[in-house]
Amino acid sequence: MGFDDALRLTEILLAFALIQHSIEHVFSAKNERYLFVVRIFLSVLMALGVWTGWVCAAFVILSLVILKRFQGPYNGGSDRMGLLVLWCVAFVHWMPTLQLKEYIFGYLAVQLLLSYFISGWVKIINSDWRNGRALQDVFQFSTYPASEQLRSIANHPWLLFCASWSVMIFELLFPLALITQATLIIGLTIAALFHFANACLFGLNRFFWIWLTAYPSLLWLHTRVFGM
Amino acid sequence: MYKTLKLILPVLFPSWRFFDVIAPSPRIEFTVLKTKNDTPYGWHEFRSRPIKLSFFEMLKRMFWNRQWNEDLFLVSCAEKIMSQPNDHSIHEIIKRIETQLRATQGEFFEGSYLQFRLVFLYREGTEIKSQITFISSPSKMEEGVINGI
Repeated sequence: MGFDDALRLTEILLAFALIQHSIEHVFSAKNERYLFVVRIFLSVLMALGVWTGWVCAAFVILSLVILKRFQGPYNGGSDRMGLLVLWCVAFVHWMPTLQLKEYIFGYLAVQLLLSYFISGWVKIINSDWRNGRALQDVFQFSTYPASEQLRSIANHPWLLFCASWSVMIFELLFPLALITQATLIIGLTIAALFHFANACLFGLNRFFWIWLTAYPSLLWLHTRVFGM
Repeated sequence: MYKTLKLILPVLFPSWRFFDVIAPSPRIEFTVLKTKNDTPYGWHEFRSRPIKLSFFEMLKRMFWNRQWNEDLFLVSCAEKIMSQPNDHSIHEIIKRIETQLRATQGEFFEGSYLQFRLVFLYREGTEIKSQITFISSPSKMEEGVINGI
């Protein structure tokens, strides 16, 4: 995938993800609502590719106001990724040379790789993850299971043991997906299904949409480095 | 400036340590009092999760999951209160309980003061235990929030 195409696709996916996030705030208190109405307006401009450099500048300022409003990201990891993608897209537009633009976009791709690899690493060094106990805890008493019925999965330790190792192996081996373009597409598809499962089981829908926005950067980096 | 940097740096240089440890998990419980000095009687879990979700409902939540995402925000507020007590997080929780009570016309509740507490669930050995870690001061609700039934 070429640089311009990857960047444009990132902008469109990001605009969609931000609209999806923002609409949920439109029915909130007034001081919160205005911020997200403005964000929807900026997202539409970004999706249309209108004045993108200026739109990015407005987005960055708005993101600071929203960060301050909630004293941090509203939804932890997913909002952090959203802001990272947004800021990287903004910096790409502001960089004076193609080389600098590529460095910034490449940084986003590397962060995407790390998001899987580090998540896998911090799990595998924890004995509770290796024996399946951590995932059992997630279902048994954490706030994440989307319904009470899902808590009963905690009563299937072997299933959770297998699921824990599947997640850890997938996350740790994700960088190997870069071997060929075909393996990368397979890797990204599995990753998207992983986020989809997390959205269904734990209600983490924002992760699904926002992680997709970073995928074009990795597809581009693969082409840029391996030339395929 | 320092505060702004503290908010931005974790965004630009993320740690990606998702679920590295399963920390004690907060639940928010609230009560409505008639006067500021009343003794709390009966705590109610704020937004208990649904018993069951169909696959269709899960799919719908892919696009519209407002309440759940707000609940996750409140979980982060609860965790912030425990790590570094702050008025912002307390206010956010109070405000959202009030909004919920207003939406349900304060069903079953009568009073004009709101109080919440944080109950953290954790595993000790093979047992799941709970501990009350924080009780807010009674907060006067906006006029018209609770009419009483």
